[in-house]
Amino acid sequence: MKKRIGFKKVVLLGFVLVLALSVGLAGAVHAKTEKKADKKEILIGTNLPLTGILSMVGIEQRWAYETAVEDINKAGGVMVKEYGKKLPVKLIVADDESDPGKAAAAVERLIKVNKVDMLLGGFAAPFGVIPGCITAEKYKKYYHTSICLIPPWLEHKFQWSTLFFFDLEQACSVPYEIWAKLPADQKIQKPALIMEDTFDGRAFAGIFRKLAEKYGYKFVLDEPWAVGAKDYSAQIIKAKSLGVDAILIFGADADCITFVRQMKENDFSVKYMHGWKGTWAGEFWQALGKDAQYILCDGFWSMDFPFPGAKELGERYFNKFKKYSVSVGALYALCQILWQGIEKAGTLDSAKVRQAVLDNEFQTMMGKVKYDKSGVATFVSTGSQWMDGKQMTVYPFELTTYKMKLAPPWKER
Amino acid sequence: MRNKITRNSTVAFVLLTLTFVLYPLLVDTEESYLVYFFFMCFIYVAMAQGWNLVAGYAGQASFGQHAFFGLGAYVTAITWKAGWTGFLDPVAMILSGAGAALLAMIVGVALLAKLRGDYFALGTLGLGEILRVVFTQGGKLTGGPVGLLLPSSSYESLGPYYFIALAIALSAFLFVWLLMRSRIGLALVAIREDEQAAACNGIHVLKFKILAFATGAFFSGLCGSIYGYFLFHIHPLGFFSLNWALLPVLMTVLGGIGTLYGPILGAFVLTGVFELANIYIPEIHPIFSGLFVILVMLYLPQGIMSLGGKDVAKRILPFISGISKQSERR
Repeated sequence: MKKRIGFKKVVLLGFVLVLALSVGLAGAVHAKTEKKADKKEILIGTNLPLTGILSMVGIEQRWAYETAVEDINKAGGVMVKEYGKKLPVKLIVADDESDPGKAAAAVERLIKVNKVDMLLGGFAAPFGVIPGCITAEKYKKYYHTSICLIPPWLEHKFQWSTLFFFDLEQACSVPYEIWAKLPADQKIQKPALIMEDTFDGRAFAGIFRKLAEKYGYKFVLDEPWAVGAKDYSAQIIKAKSLGVDAILIFGADADCITFVRQMKENDFSVKYMHGWKGTWAGEFWQALGKDAQYILCDGFWSMDFPFPGAKELGERYFNKFKKYSVSVGALYALCQILWQGIEKAGTLDSAKVRQAVLDNEFQTMMGKVKYDKSGVATFVSTGSQWMDGKQMTVYPFELTTYKMKLAPPWKER
Repeated sequence: MRNKITRNSTVAFVLLTLTFVLYPLLVDTEESYLVYFFFMCFIYVAMAQGWNLVAGYAGQASFGQHAFFGLGAYVTAITWKAGWTGFLDPVAMILSGAGAALLAMIVGVALLAKLRGDYFALGTLGLGEILRVVFTQGGKLTGGPVGLLLPSSSYESLGPYYFIALAIALSAFLFVWLLMRSRIGLALVAIREDEQAAACNGIHVLKFKILAFATGAFFSGLCGSIYGYFLFHIHPLGFFSLNWALLPVLMTVLGGIGTLYGPILGAFVLTGVFELANIYIPEIHPIFSGLFVILVMLYLPQGIMSLGGKDVAKRILPFISGISKQSERR
């Protein structure tokens, strides 16, 4: 007969379990708690997608944060008047597993177990940033973030976060601005809009449609596309039959790579293809090689920007990963703002540091940055073209000398 | 003797419950990570207990708990946004549980009458995936892929969440405990052991299976509701995530399927292991957590509940002696 354990034993086992976990978790908490007088470092937490579907795209963000921490520590740390000395920064990275619930849990842990002084933002509005902001709001910790669309962030009226990101309308106007510069005989006639059927994709699609009217364009093909689908040939053949000559596409990198491959298989080329989210990472070029040539991507930054340290940072990234980045500068700048904000506040008090960030102007790798009253500072979303493995800046026009090239048919590339 | 065991059990149960009730009153809920940890454990206990009723007692393995969890969260969010209910509103929570139970009844009639075993499990798995797409395409009502944003400024303290989650977990435990001491419990066990024999003995098999399925769904809906209130952003990817179906299964099997205390132990142990791994070895926590589950399944296939004094020696000693023999050979 099967032996069953008694209730008493279960309860005893439960007590032992709860006690063990309490000791384990409380031990973790205790180990991280520092008295004010003994403050030896500034603890900055961040929730990043180390595992899960976004694990690949979080790599650049992590490198930018770690590099900014390394650089400030080499300079002796951040001066905090309250302690009368420079304090080094320690970055604690928690895995949010690319899941909103896990992101909230990660920020809970950073605040309560690691006892971080403040936080740097995660990746992407629905997965990491909004849950992170909400959790930081609950415990009144400053969450200094980027990579989140502004409208959903503003909807929450956060009082303990700030956001440094591009304005969606500006980002969506980039292709129209580029098209406006094309010679009359090369004008775009039949553009197509292919937007991922997700949170961000729908937001982008709405603005692209609105701006198309403003700039005098009409999409001959306007379709959402599924995330992770393996076959996009139906959409490609439809676009080919409609004589599409330009594609604006928003999607994950894996999907964009599949889409371009299937365009080539179907011998369908367009003279202008511009991607958002999925075409800017170095992996896009690594996967497609020369087939990625002429394709445009969005970006936050360029190592060609005429701001102090931009070129050096781009080279450091290239030396480490053997590919270029159009994002690390913006995330590095996010850290620069935080260090300066702490120095201006003269304290590690979350409310005061946030206020200092709101009240001051900062010199960064993205140029001068100034936040508005709602806690938002914007930067210009760039447009770059893949050319021999490098994203050549096309937009903003005033920050580049490179001239965009229209793509020839596949056979002529 | 039986009376003594019952009395001791009751005393121990009351003491354990009192500990959980008193704990947040003795610490700062906004500072203590354990309060948050227990909050999550209570949610998992209720989810696992619900699944245990369906799979452990009624013998119908379902992989669709995430459908009911997500639906519960959406019912809460939609009714709150419409102004019909408020923040941490018991009416919204009951509606969330009832909505999930209603869906389980409707779907259960089709699935439980026609499908058994693996086919039923796959059918319920499909239910969650269908709902995820439906809510992603749900337009303004569900917020589409963006989901529904709730006013996070409503948050004041973790305390109320903790006590509500504790109440849900206790309700799930007491409900299953009472149910398994009733004629319904006997009927469920009879169905699990042999459906045909149960039917021959006059048990309305479909009715009892639907009852268990809907009860499990009710508790999942309640959990979705309180978790939705906690996150303030109801999102199809997060709330219809397969994790909400698989983790309760894993916890119940780890603790001891078909036992009253197994889901509780499983929920606490697994959540604890995941949390400790996340804290101490954040870079490789999935490897450690996965390894832990594999080891428990290898050496305690009946779950932690199968651990008795002698059983411990029987199961653990060969394992240890195996290791020491290997070391000696080296």
